[in-house]
Amino acid sequence: MNHIIINVGRQLGSGGHDIGRMLALDFQAKYYDRELLNLAAKESGLSEKIFEQNDEKKGFFRGLFNIGAPHVSGYKPDLSQESLFQFQSDAIRKAAKQGSCVFVGRCADYVLRDFDNTVNIFITASMDYRVEQIMNKQHMNAETARRFIEQGEGKRADYYNYYTGKKWGSAESYDLCIDSSKLGLVETEKLIAQFIRKRFEQ
Amino acid sequence: MQDNKQAALALGTKPIGQLLWQYALPAIVAMTASSLYNIIDRAMIGQVVGPEAIAGLGITFPFMNLSAAFGAAVGVGSSTCISVKLGQKDYATAEHLLGNTVTLNLIIGFLFMAVSLLFLDPILRFFGASDMTLPYAREFMIVILLGNMITHMYFGMNAVLRAAGKPKHAMYSVLFTVGMNILLVVTFVWWFRWGIKGAALATVTSQSMALCWQLWLFSDKKELLHLKRGIYRLKAELVKNIISIGVSPFLMNATSCIIVIFMNNQFVRYGGDMAVGAYSIANSVVMVFFMFVIGVTQGMQPIVGYNYGAEKYDRMLRCLYLAIGCATAILLVGWGLSMLFPRHIARIFTTDPTLLDLSARGIKLDMLVFFVVGSQATITNFFQSIGKVKISIFLSLSRQLFLLLPMAYLFPLIFGLDGVWYSMPASDFGSFAMTIPLLLWYMKKFKRS
Repeated sequence: MNHIIINVGRQLGSGGHDIGRMLALDFQAKYYDRELLNLAAKESGLSEKIFEQNDEKKGFFRGLFNIGAPHVSGYKPDLSQESLFQFQSDAIRKAAKQGSCVFVGRCADYVLRDFDNTVNIFITASMDYRVEQIMNKQHMNAETARRFIEQGEGKRADYYNYYTGKKWGSAESYDLCIDSSKLGLVETEKLIAQFIRKRFEQ
Repeated sequence: MQDNKQAALALGTKPIGQLLWQYALPAIVAMTASSLYNIIDRAMIGQVVGPEAIAGLGITFPFMNLSAAFGAAVGVGSSTCISVKLGQKDYATAEHLLGNTVTLNLIIGFLFMAVSLLFLDPILRFFGASDMTLPYAREFMIVILLGNMITHMYFGMNAVLRAAGKPKHAMYSVLFTVGMNILLVVTFVWWFRWGIKGAALATVTSQSMALCWQLWLFSDKKELLHLKRGIYRLKAELVKNIISIGVSPFLMNATSCIIVIFMNNQFVRYGGDMAVGAYSIANSVVMVFFMFVIGVTQGMQPIVGYNYGAEKYDRMLRCLYLAIGCATAILLVGWGLSMLFPRHIARIFTTDPTLLDLSARGIKLDMLVFFVVGSQATITNFFQSIGKVKISIFLSLSRQLFLLLPMAYLFPLIFGLDGVWYSMPASDFGSFAMTIPLLLWYMKKFKRS
């Protein structure tokens, strides 16, 4: 296997971001999380801000966009979230062709479903653990952190389910699902790395 | 796909005038064609069947709006989802979406038909039908409703054609339907004297012919996206996605339905059946010019959107100004014609002296400050193009709902029938007056950045 692609889905506060970074170090892979927005912006000529505003979101009234021009299709060069997603997917595919990568979120598992050198991981953690993580990172109290998680994940799930037709966080969508609060981030990462090595040995 | 990306990048570099022309022209052609068909339809009914028939036809508009709202919900929803899937080269899901679209259209089309036929008279009464106009409205609606499934399928398939990378075919089928309709309406109404149901029959027949062609296109096995067994069973996730996109266009269309119901009722109350007829005539005159403006704004959308996104604000603003200029110029022509020759215009639709008087006055009052609508509509669309969808919704509702409805309720209390007419230019001007400061405020933000 010349290069591998690791897609990491994650619950908010589960440490998926950090685990992704460690995996990237382990496998000498490029790490893409928010970096993808920059790639997508370069791909499209649009500014990064636009991608940031719409990152992993799907708005209700944004549906009105699609009434638009009846003669442009495919790459609709407008600012609808659908076309932004298209630009982003192209950026993901381009990066995946160039070498080993770790992608965090952004439906990369679906976008790269036709690549055979992928492994799809989903990282969960107990609610209490995640609340604590968010409290430390974002300096919030427990109640706000809990609400932050619930809202953020609602959006993330809507986004994922809409674009992939799969269910976000449901075991059958991934190769390996793991609770990071049981072993801690470092040990969890080691376990995942072992899984990935085994997976590509065959 | 690569070509499409080139097209996207061209939006940031090609001259604005050229781009606007290239993007707006097809939209203008399609829009103008359908408003032309409306004019000929109504003119035939008004001239041949009589003034009561045109009033009866006016009563049925909200019905058409509502049916179109359901059609748009499924059409916009599924075409968006399909183009996402095609972009991802996920052809299996795209085909399931196609199949689900067919099924959804049939189900919704059937339910709409069944419920409406069952309660046809009470609904029409609620819409403002009188003893005189009811028979015409009923006769027209029965045929339209029986063909409702065809209508839904036709619009749905057209939307899918666009999504499937065949925008030209979609345009041909619109143009074919319009042309065929004109031919048939003349034949059925003028030649065969089938009355108002002849017009309905012409609509349904031409749509079924276009639908046959669309289905033939989609049954070609060489096409990436084609109709085959096993794609029609509804899948919960797909339906949910279609509806989640379709809700907002549905609401926008449903709003215009409510407005027409209210306006029709006001006209009946203060001016009787003939006033509804005059409203329907004035409305189709307004529509001819307004559709032009819609075409321009649709052409503007991708250009403004892309350049905003690429932070090329001067190109974005130049495109906005050009679009406002074009839209206003067109409306000035319409305004001038309506102020100078309202009687001649009304004469296209009717020979009846009462209706002629009412319509001529109506056209003049309705379009009193028509030219301000150009910038209002363009700026509303501008906000949508740059992703400020909530501002855009607020602006478009302000013209139609927040301003028009209260004014159409209050003005006639003082001015009688004229008051109902006055409410339209008043709300045009009011929303214009709201739009301009909002744009100026927004421009300040651009200048700063």
